[in-house]
Amino acid sequence: MSLLPFLAVATAGTVIVTLLRDRRWLGTLAGIGAVLAALGAATAVRPDTPLGIGGGALAGSDHLRVLLVLCLGGGLLVLIVARLATWQPSAPGALLGGAAGMGLALGLAGTPPALLAAAAATVAASALALGSPAAPSRIRALARELRGATTSVVVGLVAAGIVPAAASTPGRVPGLAEPGLAEPAAAALVFLGIGLVLAHRFGAIPLHARVSRLADATPSGALPILAAWVPATWVIVILGWAPVALGPSSADLGLERALIVALALVTLLFGAVAALIQDEVDHVVAYTIVADAGIALLALASLDPAARDAARAWVLVFATTRTAMIGWTIAFRAAFGTGRLRDTAGWMRRAPALGVALAAILVAVVGWPGLLAWEARLAILRSATGGPVLLLAYAGSLGTGVAICRLLVVGLGRPSPIVAGAVGELPRLPAQPAGAASGPAAPATAPARVRAASLPGRVRVLAASAGRDARPALELNRVPLRAFVVILLAGLALLTAVGAFGIDAAARAAGPSLPSFVPFAGG
Amino acid sequence: MTPLLLVAGAIVGIGAAVATGARDARIASLGLVGLLVAAPFVADPLPAPLPLAFGVAAGILAGFLVFVTARRVPDGPAPTLGLPATLVAAAAGYVAGLGATAVALPRLGPDAALAAGLAALAVAVGPIAVTRDIFRLGPALIVLYTAGTLVLNAVAGTPAPLTSIATGVLVVALAAGAAVVGSGAATLGGTTGPDEVHHRRPAVARPRGDAR
Repeated sequence: MSLLPFLAVATAGTVIVTLLRDRRWLGTLAGIGAVLAALGAATAVRPDTPLGIGGGALAGSDHLRVLLVLCLGGGLLVLIVARLATWQPSAPGALLGGAAGMGLALGLAGTPPALLAAAAATVAASALALGSPAAPSRIRALARELRGATTSVVVGLVAAGIVPAAASTPGRVPGLAEPGLAEPAAAALVFLGIGLVLAHRFGAIPLHARVSRLADATPSGALPILAAWVPATWVIVILGWAPVALGPSSADLGLERALIVALALVTLLFGAVAALIQDEVDHVVAYTIVADAGIALLALASLDPAARDAARAWVLVFATTRTAMIGWTIAFRAAFGTGRLRDTAGWMRRAPALGVALAAILVAVVGWPGLLAWEARLAILRSATGGPVLLLAYAGSLGTGVAICRLLVVGLGRPSPIVAGAVGELPRLPAQPAGAASGPAAPATAPARVRAASLPGRVRVLAASAGRDARPALELNRVPLRAFVVILLAGLALLTAVGAFGIDAAARAAGPSLPSFVPFAGG
Repeated sequence: MTPLLLVAGAIVGIGAAVATGARDARIASLGLVGLLVAAPFVADPLPAPLPLAFGVAAGILAGFLVFVTARRVPDGPAPTLGLPATLVAAAAGYVAGLGATAVALPRLGPDAALAAGLAALAVAVGPIAVTRDIFRLGPALIVLYTAGTLVLNAVAGTPAPLTSIATGVLVVALAAGAAVVGSGAATLGGTTGPDEVHHRRPAVARPRGDAR
């Protein structure tokens, strides 16, 4: 029942901010207020008694709470960074609508409803982010997202349906006298189908064009939900089901698992190389997402519940660090007017706070032995690979860190003319007009003086004075404010990487997102 | 397998063919309504009355959303196959699905669901794989999705009420997404496909402040 208030608040917030998207200041206030309200409701999600709905169940879990809090917290900070750069009317609605869909997908017990809800989350977030204002690139991106979500859910539904059918009718295939032989063949089909869905939703090579094009077309404030959090939801749903349904057949799936591992290795290595050769910071981030799709594929290939639990922890670190990186790119682009690395050599001279934030994100992405981010990633790699392949996968999994190191190295170079002409990060004060130096002017008439002396009058005078002073100060200090918020984002990523918020325990706890095919398993 | 199941499956196949093969977008959306209204009945045993009614209502609403958009859409390229050829493709898929009885594929649902699912799948794959008109993509995606749910009915049996309701919700969401795509394309005065060659703007041409 604790999930219902969150769903209600997030849905209502989506409607309100979508209706107010043409009002710049009101829309901003409504967006921030609605996300804060949804964040508050998300903190109340608990693993309580499941609510029975139509033969299924809806329930919260610790993992869902952590996921929603990180998604909305990180998303809110990215919205603030984006708002300090420009007005993106569709971003708050996309964040809230996507978060509501994620809550539904991970709160519903059973694989088919969870897959359907994950697809609905993808459709809702995409339509809200890309539908308005209409532009050719956005309409095309939305059409691609609809196509991807539909094909993914169709393949996922059929795969989820094949397993119980094959398991309940052994030996029905003519020519196969021995009962049970039908199941490995069905399991192989299902495994490859689910692998395809996971690869497409995460953007694994060769299905990676989706992520890069999304980074081009999507308003940057909505990119975290579309490129990181919604794919993470698909991963959690699929990994919650696959080891349970296919684990018993894992011994018969040697070739299929080898195929998925090979795809994962190609994705890890080529994704890292692609991230290293990109010139646009947006594309660097996009290809780090592509590269990490390899780790998600390895978690699937292992068909091991231990790897699933590690992946449930890792995916939170992944999505939070990518959210922080997207926030960093927004601040970077706004600070220098371009995202091209060849034009922004030496950027760290003008933006040292962004440099500190990026270094913190690097630490969160790579981690060190003993840290949740490191251990979860290594557990996934070990569960699916061994020997030289493990070494290769390990090297590939560090590709994101190498790509961030390249950004830092570029920042340490000789400043380019664009960087030299950019505004620095030091706070500035607005110049005081001569008449305003001694404070607000005194009221002229006696009744006005009496009104001003009263408590409400004083509050009004103070508010007017603060508002008059705050506006120019805000305009002057957008650069340091953006840098400050990006540092907060990097801090959130670091906290996630060290396993704060009880991530490790939440990842291992049972809940609706660890379902068997039909019955409710946990809560 | 009852005659009712066969008839409902045939209506699904014809609706899918009209939705993807009709030249006029409004007629295509009417075919979509027929498909979506008939699809919940292709199950044995039938779903409970409430999920059944929800599925029918969701189908009508989804068809209405697509129809409203179809009225604004300018004439685009004709469907690749044309209506007669699409009807033949749907019929072939339907017969192939019924023929699956002969090989006794492991499944818990009716043959008619598999037949209707394959009929819808046969006509949906083309417009999705090669999209020349972005408006055509929306109805084709809904047809593909319905095909998936029918195949699920065929292999796993009648879905639980919650799954039926979630299916209806996603149909409406897809129709709304298709309506947004169609409206956006109509506003821009063109309905090009999503895979048109991607012309990436040079980074320096992007406005300062990340305003994309």
